[in-house]
Amino acid sequence: MDIKSTTPLSGLFRTSPFKPVQEHMRLTFSCICLLPPLLDALYRKDYPQLAEFAEEIIKLESAADDIKQDFRVHLPNTLLLPVDREDLLNLISDQDGLADLTEEIAKILVYRDMVVPDPLKDLLDELLEGTMEISVAAKDMIERLDELLQVGFRGREQEKVSVMIAGVRRSEHNIDHIMFRIRRRLFESEKDLNPVDTMFWYQLISLVGAISDQAENVADRLLLFLSK
Amino acid sequence: MDIIAAYGTAFVILAIIFGLYMTWGIGANDLANAMGTSVGAGAVTIKQAICIAIIFEFAGAVLAGGHVTGTIRKGIIDPTSIVNSPEILVYGMLASLLAAAFWLMIASWKGWPVSTTHSIIGALIGFAIVGIGPDAVKWNKVASVVGSWVVSPVVGGTISFLLVMSTRKLIFDTENPLKNAKRYAPWYVFLVGFVISLVTMFKGLKHLKVELSVPQSFGVAVLIGFITAGISWYFIRRIEADQEADRDFHFASVEKVFAPMMLFTACAMAFAHGSNDVANGIGPLAAVVSIVSSGGEVMQESELPIWILLLGGFGIVLGLITLGYRVMLTVGRKITELTPSRGFCAELAAATTVVIASRTGLPVSTTHILVGSVLGVGLARGIGALDLRVVFNIIVSWLVTLPAGAIMAMLFFFTLKGIFS
Repeated sequence: MDIKSTTPLSGLFRTSPFKPVQEHMRLTFSCICLLPPLLDALYRKDYPQLAEFAEEIIKLESAADDIKQDFRVHLPNTLLLPVDREDLLNLISDQDGLADLTEEIAKILVYRDMVVPDPLKDLLDELLEGTMEISVAAKDMIERLDELLQVGFRGREQEKVSVMIAGVRRSEHNIDHIMFRIRRRLFESEKDLNPVDTMFWYQLISLVGAISDQAENVADRLLLFLSK
Repeated sequence: MDIIAAYGTAFVILAIIFGLYMTWGIGANDLANAMGTSVGAGAVTIKQAICIAIIFEFAGAVLAGGHVTGTIRKGIIDPTSIVNSPEILVYGMLASLLAAAFWLMIASWKGWPVSTTHSIIGALIGFAIVGIGPDAVKWNKVASVVGSWVVSPVVGGTISFLLVMSTRKLIFDTENPLKNAKRYAPWYVFLVGFVISLVTMFKGLKHLKVELSVPQSFGVAVLIGFITAGISWYFIRRIEADQEADRDFHFASVEKVFAPMMLFTACAMAFAHGSNDVANGIGPLAAVVSIVSSGGEVMQESELPIWILLLGGFGIVLGLITLGYRVMLTVGRKITELTPSRGFCAELAAATTVVIASRTGLPVSTTHILVGSVLGVGLARGIGALDLRVVFNIIVSWLVTLPAGAIMAMLFFFTLKGIFS
C-alpha cells in the first residue's frame, strides 16, 4: 500500500524567503564587480574585451531577474513571515535596481565606443572605488539576514546591522561629494570635448552615482526589518 | 448476556486484531510524523529514531497511557441505559475501532492531514448516537475534549514562544553564544527530564502500584532531570567552535550544541505520543476486554490490564518499523528549515503539552500541538516562512474527520450487530 504522510507539518514549512534574497544579492554583487574590469578595458580601448565583460554583466543581470520573478511568484500572502511581506518584495526590487543600473552602464559602453577623457580619469577611479565599497557593504548587510533571523531581528545583531546601515549612508554621502567634483571637472573640460561625448559622460556618471543611491535604498529597506 | 457468553472469546480476539490494526496505523503515520521533526533537523538518524521510538513509546504507553485510555474507554459514552444488553457496547467499540482505522487508512492513502484522535472520538460519538441514543453521549466531556483540541496547540505555541525567547536571551544574543550554549544546554535538557517525569509521576502511577507523595514525586523528577542533564553534558562538552562553518553562518557552532539536545526531545516526543495516542487504539479494546471478562458488566469498574498497554505499544512500534520509517524520511526531508535550536524548543513545548493533556486524560492530537509549537517559534520571528494555509487545512480536517468517523462507525455497528445478533 502506498502510504503518504498525513502530517500537516510538511505543508507548514516553506523555503526561507531570505535565501533567494541573498542569492539575488550575490548575483547582483557579481554584476557590480565586473564594473572595474569593464572600465579598465575602456581605458585600454580594448573594445572586444569590453564587450565580453558587458555580455557577462547582462547574463548575470538576467539570472538575478529570474530569481526575482520566481521569488514574487512563490510568496503567497498566507505566509507567516518574520518581516513584512511588502518590505521583502520591495527589498528584492531595490536589489534588482542595482543590477539594472550596472547593465545599463555596460550597454551604453557596448553600443558606443567611448574614450575616457584624461581629466576625468583620477576622479572616475575614485568614484568606482567608492561604488565598490558601498556595494560590498550592502552585500555584507544582506548576508547578515541569517543571523538576524536567529535572534529575531533584535539585540546585538540588530545593533551590528544598524552600524552597517549607517556605514552605507556615510559612503553614499561621500560619493555625493565625488559626484559633484567629477561633474564640475567634466563641465570645465566641456570645451575640449565632443558635445555628444560630453552628454554621454554626464549620463554614465549619473548611472554610476545612482548605484550608491540604490545601495542606500537597500539599506533603508533593511532598516524596516529591524524596526518592525 | 447470552451473546457475551457465547461469543466472548471471538469478541476479544476481534478487538485485539482491530486494536492492533489501529495502533499499527498510528505507528506507521502518526508517530512517524512526530519523530520526523527530529530526523529533519538532522539531530537523529532514522535508525536512532526507531530505537528511541521503541523504548519511549512503550514507556509512555505503560507509565502514562492509562488516563487517556480511560477517557476513550468510558469517558465519552454513558452506557447506563444498556446494562441489560452489553453486547451493544461491544459491537460499538469494535465498530469504532474499525471505523477509525479504516478512515486512517484512506487518509494515509490520499495523504490527508487527519488525526487519529479525531477519528476515534468521531467514531465513538457516531456509534453512541445510533446504537444507544444521543443522550448516551457525554456531551460535556466531548465539549471539553474538543475544546482541548483548540487550546492545546495554543498552549504548545505559547511554551515554544517563551522557550525561543529564553534561548535568545541566554544564548544567542550574548557576547559569547557558544560558551553560553554549553553552559545552559544541560539546564534545558534538565527541563526535559524534569517536566516530563514530574507530570507523569504526579499522582499518576497508581496503576503500577507506585504511590509517590508530592515531595517524593518532585525528588524523583529532579533526579531524572539531573541524569538527563548529565548525559547531555557528556555529549556537548567536547563541541568546539567550527571557524569554517561560523564564517558562513555566525551561529553554526551554537546550533551544533543543540543537535544532541534534540535527542532528548525526540525521546520526550515518543514518550508523549505513547502516553496519549496509544489510547486511541487500545481504549476500545480495553472496554471490550473488560465487558467480556466481567461477563457483561458495562460500567467497567475494573483496572486497565497492563498487557493491553503493552499490546498497544507493540502495535505502534510494528507500524513504525514496517512502514513508518519511510514516512519519517519524507517528513524529515520536507522540514529542513527547522534548525536544532528551533526544533528543540518546538519539540519540548509539544511534548510537555501532550504529557500534561495525557495526565489530565484528554485525548489530543500530537501533530496539531507540534504545528502549534512551530507556529510559536514563527511568531517569535524565528522561522523564514510558515504557510498558514495549514491551519485552515487542520480545521477542515476536523470538520471532515468527525462526521466521517461517525458515519463509518454507524455502518460497521449495524454490520456487526447483523452478524452476531
